[in-house]
Amino acid sequence: MIDSIALPDYREKSPEVAARFERLVQRPVALEVVGLTKRFESSRGSVTALDNVSFSVHKRELMCVIGPSGCGKSTLVRILAGLESPTSGEVRVNGISVSGPGPDRGMVFQGYTLFPWQTVKENVMFGPRMAGKSSYSAESEAREWIGLVGLSKFENAYPHQLSGGMKQRVAIARALANQPRVLFMDEPFGALDAQTRCQMQAYLLEIWKNVDITIVFITHDLDEAVFLSDRILVLDANPGRIRELVEVPVPRPRSEAQLFDPTFMATRKHIDHMMHPPGQTQKDTPVMRLAVSDPDVI
Amino acid sequence: MSQHRLFRDWFLIRRDLPQMRALFLTCVSFLLPIAIWCFFSYTPWIWHPDVKIQISAEREGITTVFTAGDRVSKAFFPEFAKAVRDENAKVLAAREAGTSESGAKRKNQKLLRQIAPIATIHQWIPEADAQNDTAIFAIWRDLAVGEKTATNPALTPENLKIVKQNWAVLSAISTEFSFAQLPDQPLLKLIPQGKPSNPVYLPAPDEVIRSGYRDFTAEVPAGELTMKERYLRSLSIIFRGFLWACIIGIPIGILCGVFDFFSKLFEPFVDFFRYMPAPTFSTLLVAVLLAGDAPKIALVFIGTVFQMILVISKTTRLLDPSLLEAAQTLGAKPRQLVTHVVVPGILPNLYNDLRILLGWAWTWLVIAELIGVKSGLTEFIETQGRFRNFDRVYPIIILIGVTGFVMDQILSSLHGVLFPWSGKPSPMAHAFRNFIKKIISPLTALFRRNRKLPETP
Repeated sequence: MIDSIALPDYREKSPEVAARFERLVQRPVALEVVGLTKRFESSRGSVTALDNVSFSVHKRELMCVIGPSGCGKSTLVRILAGLESPTSGEVRVNGISVSGPGPDRGMVFQGYTLFPWQTVKENVMFGPRMAGKSSYSAESEAREWIGLVGLSKFENAYPHQLSGGMKQRVAIARALANQPRVLFMDEPFGALDAQTRCQMQAYLLEIWKNVDITIVFITHDLDEAVFLSDRILVLDANPGRIRELVEVPVPRPRSEAQLFDPTFMATRKHIDHMMHPPGQTQKDTPVMRLAVSDPDVI
Repeated sequence: MSQHRLFRDWFLIRRDLPQMRALFLTCVSFLLPIAIWCFFSYTPWIWHPDVKIQISAEREGITTVFTAGDRVSKAFFPEFAKAVRDENAKVLAAREAGTSESGAKRKNQKLLRQIAPIATIHQWIPEADAQNDTAIFAIWRDLAVGEKTATNPALTPENLKIVKQNWAVLSAISTEFSFAQLPDQPLLKLIPQGKPSNPVYLPAPDEVIRSGYRDFTAEVPAGELTMKERYLRSLSIIFRGFLWACIIGIPIGILCGVFDFFSKLFEPFVDFFRYMPAPTFSTLLVAVLLAGDAPKIALVFIGTVFQMILVISKTTRLLDPSLLEAAQTLGAKPRQLVTHVVVPGILPNLYNDLRILLGWAWTWLVIAELIGVKSGLTEFIETQGRFRNFDRVYPIIILIGVTGFVMDQILSSLHGVLFPWSGKPSPMAHAFRNFIKKIISPLTALFRRNRKLPETP
């Protein structure tokens, strides 16, 4: 259907959006990735998951990383967070090279990873406590972050008493309580149902608007990527390479109504074609006949 | 055909029964073995291969002596009774022919004491008086004149007749006991009486309960331990052994689970060592640690600690690694990872492991108490078992079982109290927690207020 509608070029930007991008690139670079390569060695030979990936993310930017499965986007974010080490290349936060995990880079996982033995409040207090803050100041900070994600009523609940969406909000609050330079989110809404996922995207944009934070967001959902980001990093699979860095021409603030905006659809279509080239789509498979099927119906 | 709803839906594949039915079946699972035990004990025509003697007699020329309480086989008992009857017939025949041998005073004194078991069962005389001839003499008189009647067990008519015949001979000389005035000629012996019974290793429930009650309430001679003291001594050996195993085993287990270095350093040897049965070290332990409780505690320790290290290291490895990654991205250092993530994260599973391992430690109790100087409950089991007093052995065995079972149930119900976040706590656990909270919250509030002061500008 989308092919039959005449869409503008995705590179065309309204003056307002163009001005926003100009401001964006003038901001200092928060995260810089230089020549990142990751090879997995196994007895059957080596697999290159990431091949010479370089890009930079500016302060206050929300960048999505998208790509077909197996393109190494999870590997990429794990390296950025310091949970894995690259074969070669470098990651710089505010110009300083980093290796290993640290409180300057927060992470939100798909599987929530809340500490089940701690209440919501204690979970959010975890980072400040590790940094050596007193339990009193950690607690008052935690209350603020919990209020920001709208869970003040649940601060004494245990994770097993919360829904998936609430758990992920706690995880975001917990990551933010550490006041990281960059927040990495690895398909954070992947396990949620469609409706909750939409709500969470709106929540995230709301939080991002109110907090001075740079976000790198991994997803495989096109709509999510276009809806959230300033720029989208599209990766190729085998080996994982940067295909294109797309600037999203959809104006902010974003709302659900923009899902049917021509600029939105044009961007979406462009990325869709990059990930699934038109010639490669599978033809309709013939209907499998069952012994009891009524031949007239088929 | 419709069935009543009470009989429907008992057998549904992989479906839980309603709570009431589950509770009912739990009760039945305990009542069923008891019912089977009662059935075999109290149905006279089921099994009962032996006769338990209630009145006994000595036979001429045979040294084997059966006393009341002994068991003889069903096949042998009629033969035994017939032999006594034959002897009585000889005595009567000799008495009529006037050829009775004299000098039977001592024998007659012993013969009169045959009635003692009947007298003590009916509590006519205390057990300590079973050889008090004056009292026994009075019993013969009372039975003969009908002043007393044995009911449980009743004297057979044959025996009652013998009692009267003997009393006639006795009273002709004197109505009060004195050794000098016992008849010189032999009296008639009571014919052995008995009831069908099971072998000595299967005492009836009421016998077990009565013996158990007696053993637990009895006063003991000075220097010996009461049953309660024995029980506490056994418990202390288990708990001290287990405690040492925890002190050594838990830290090593966690270290092995966290660091591959310790895993590779300790686990291969531990894995090998646990296959050597702990009791094989018993003589060594006694030689090193000498008599007393130390070698016993060491045996429980050796039997438990190696399993503990392996089980706990495995539990530690099962902790979701993504929790560790999350903590790392939140800035936790390696030491903090262990103290703030690994330890609290594995606690509920660790608690369950320890519960199972405590059950494991129980199995070493008997062997531990047998080594060196026998002690505790096991010494009692050993001694009584050697005398074939199985009615006194069973209560102890049951006591050990009940203790282990009750302890495990209590510990498992505490799981919900201690780890409310690991699942849904039971109503009891919930009530308990609220109670604790009520006590603690004023204290923490006070504490917090004190902490607050220096921080506010």
